[in-house]
Amino acid sequence: MAEKQAPARLREYETVFLVKPDLTDDQVDRIKDKVRGVVSREGGKLIRFTVWGKKRTMYPIAKHPRAIYVHGHYLGSSALVAEVERNLRNIDDVTRYLSVKLAHEVDPESRPVLEDLRMAGDVDEKAPPGERAAERAVEDREESVTEIDEEPAEEA
Amino acid sequence: MRNDTERNPSSRSGPGGKEGPMGGRGGGEEEHRGGRGGGFGRRRVCRFCAEKNLAVDYKDQAMLKYFVTERGKIIPRRISGNCAKHQRQVAVAIKRARGLALIPYIVLAG
Ligand SMILES: [Zn+2]
Repeated sequence: MAEKQAPARLREYETVFLVKPDLTDDQVDRIKDKVRGVVSREGGKLIRFTVWGKKRTMYPIAKHPRAIYVHGHYLGSSALVAEVERNLRNIDDVTRYLSVKLAHEVDPESRPVLEDLRMAGDVDEKAPPGERAAERAVEDREESVTEIDEEPAEEA
Repeated sequence: MRNDTERNPSSRSGPGGKEGPMGGRGGGEEEHRGGRGGGFGRRRVCRFCAEKNLAVDYKDQAMLKYFVTERGKIIPRRISGNCAKHQRQVAVAIKRARGLALIPYIVLAG
């Protein structure tokens, strides 16, 4: 009879949200804890938070040129996602969020809880200048354009 | 080296002609076309099909940059070389990444 009970299968989701760049680490942690609380309350399992750090956004968000990116990875139901998003919406310091389903049915036992990560954030926006120039040449449709970033497989 | 200038993709049969029907892409045959056959650095094979452990990911802004123009527009697969399946995934990923401001919606003329 122990065979009969189906193990609870949950969906795997990730939510990325942006918070205002002037928040302290403590304030970010508080938001994380809030989400963590929601996930456990709704019968989910939070696998890991990754703070990507303060990054330059490609356009201003809430009048800030930067934002702190936080990535949450968890298991749960669709109701949980709705609840997480509702909570994020209610936090004024959260400016954006995006939730994506990663997998349909996951055995929660197979996904250990991992330690939260913290990343450095912006590693200065400068792309290697050579790459930039190449892109521009491509865009301009110069006659000299041949193959960009492909192995030099010329046999001519 | 015979170079472009006269095989203009818009007036001639264009890149569609030499790529052939989608089904028939067998090996990585490297035919050499001088010039701009397809505008910018076109690929013959879908890079996601070619490299199995490379996945489309909206969080990978460096990878997505290859599939948008300088202006921020999505590059059509006739030029990027993506297969239909992966082009769809790339398009969705680009739109997600735009929402998170990882890549721009539009880049104004500089
Ligand atoms: Zn493909």
